[in-house]
Amino acid sequence: MRLAYNFDWGVLWRAPYGVWLLQGIWLTIQLGLIAWIIALVLGVILGTMRIAPWPWVRRLATAYVEVFRNVPFLVQLFFWYFAGPMLFGQTLMFKINAISGLNYYVAIVGLGLYTASRVAEHVRAGFASIARDQFQAALSTGLTEIQMYRFVIIPYALRIIIPPLTTEFLTIFKNSSVAMTIGVAETTFMTYKIDSETFHGLEATTGAMVVYLLIGLGVVKLMGMIESRFRIAGLVGRK
Amino acid sequence: MRKFLVVTLMLLGMLAVLAAPLLADETMDRIEKTGKLRVGFREDSIPFAFIDPKVGKQVGFSVDMTYELVAKLSERFGKQIEIEPYTVTTKTRIPLVANGTIDVEMGSTTYTQAREEEVDFSLPFFFSETTFLVPKNSPIKTMKDLNGKRLGGARGTTNLKAMEDQAAKGLYKPKEIQVFEGHAQGFLALQTGKIDAYATDRSLLEGLRMKDAKPENWRTCDFAIAYEPYGYMMRECTSDFRDFLNNTILWSIKTGKFYELYDKWMGPKGPVPIPMSATYKAYLEMIVYPMEDNWWKKK
Repeated sequence: MRLAYNFDWGVLWRAPYGVWLLQGIWLTIQLGLIAWIIALVLGVILGTMRIAPWPWVRRLATAYVEVFRNVPFLVQLFFWYFAGPMLFGQTLMFKINAISGLNYYVAIVGLGLYTASRVAEHVRAGFASIARDQFQAALSTGLTEIQMYRFVIIPYALRIIIPPLTTEFLTIFKNSSVAMTIGVAETTFMTYKIDSETFHGLEATTGAMVVYLLIGLGVVKLMGMIESRFRIAGLVGRK
Repeated sequence: MRKFLVVTLMLLGMLAVLAAPLLADETMDRIEKTGKLRVGFREDSIPFAFIDPKVGKQVGFSVDMTYELVAKLSERFGKQIEIEPYTVTTKTRIPLVANGTIDVEMGSTTYTQAREEEVDFSLPFFFSETTFLVPKNSPIKTMKDLNGKRLGGARGTTNLKAMEDQAAKGLYKPKEIQVFEGHAQGFLALQTGKIDAYATDRSLLEGLRMKDAKPENWRTCDFAIAYEPYGYMMRECTSDFRDFLNNTILWSIKTGKFYELYDKWMGPKGPVPIPMSATYKAYLEMIVYPMEDNWWKKK
């Protein structure tokens, strides 16, 4: 029985396929990094809102987190890209849809909003693991609530949650592949494009796997460096 | 002991030699043994294979042709062969055929040389034009009008490839070519103003247009950017099965069943009216070679 498949690893670097793959990788990095910044900022704010003393602030943040956490990301992305413009009425919808590269912006914002809900939960967990005496000690030195969060609690919590944040950072790069379904030409999109042109999907997908693996390893190394740089002796971990 | 070994090896050798002809077409053998034909159907390819919401399962020209195939297979093997349906998309249809998950894909797949290298095709049974669906009042009337417009196509289709190749060659300069996961999504993008024109085969475009609440708001362009023959896909090295499928198609032309099915789906009263051109009719008549009744019976 002959194997009905001839391997051709050249599709990964031969022109024009190699160029496509590189363009895709660059877009994946863009999507991941920019969405991560949105997610981090929004997530810290939301996580803090979750344990704020004012009940309506807490309820608002909880509602956001529950909605964005429970709906699958693919469904969210489709909603924002196809149904989102319709929310603005007929004329505005056509104007919005005429924006070139709309799917790129929608993908970044959608990814950021989704990941923010997960970061918020990690931040809340970070706060929960700080003993109550820290809060009381900070307040007793005369800081207001907001100052306490800004100068004492949040810096402390962020250091504690660096490991789960690393996971979220990795996940954002993996979830960026979902953006292919709304036409963003990132790594996975290019993989399928190479596959449909050359029918060598096996090589193309293996290449994509290696790319994501390398991005992931890079992220882990980066977060490890951040962790050791910002470590407070005696507060977190064994050292 | 030695004599025993020699005799056993001789018997095994004879078995291998005698068994060899039986391994000639594993697809036909598997269909006979399991009584099931694994078929890949599209869900959105009107009028060849699509889901009819009223009926709740796949219907279409290619689906009816599958019933013909199964009827002949049942008569050959003397038992009722069942269809095991699998859903395929434009992206998954070739991988699923090539890796053996499905025996045959009955839909609206274009026969191209590049695809021929990965899978086998039946005889072409339909010829379609690739053209664009545009809003009724769109200024797009000829190929030149495509300059500066936003075009859309479905992932994995020859239509998308044709557009990209022609744009690269400079036949027209669109502003951008967007890729969608399927025809339904592409049509939605057209309706909401994300693209100015959506490209696929004329029959599929007409099908999309008919499904809209107001079909008169859309029109298909008169010009075509490519002409494509449709064939049914199956794995390589299954020539007995391929011959059987081809004979089924030819027999249906000879007995008139083909024209009946065509009328049902693409005739004037069908869901997507496409008049049969004179050349198409001549092609169908000419490919039928002399066939005798009961060609499907085992000799």
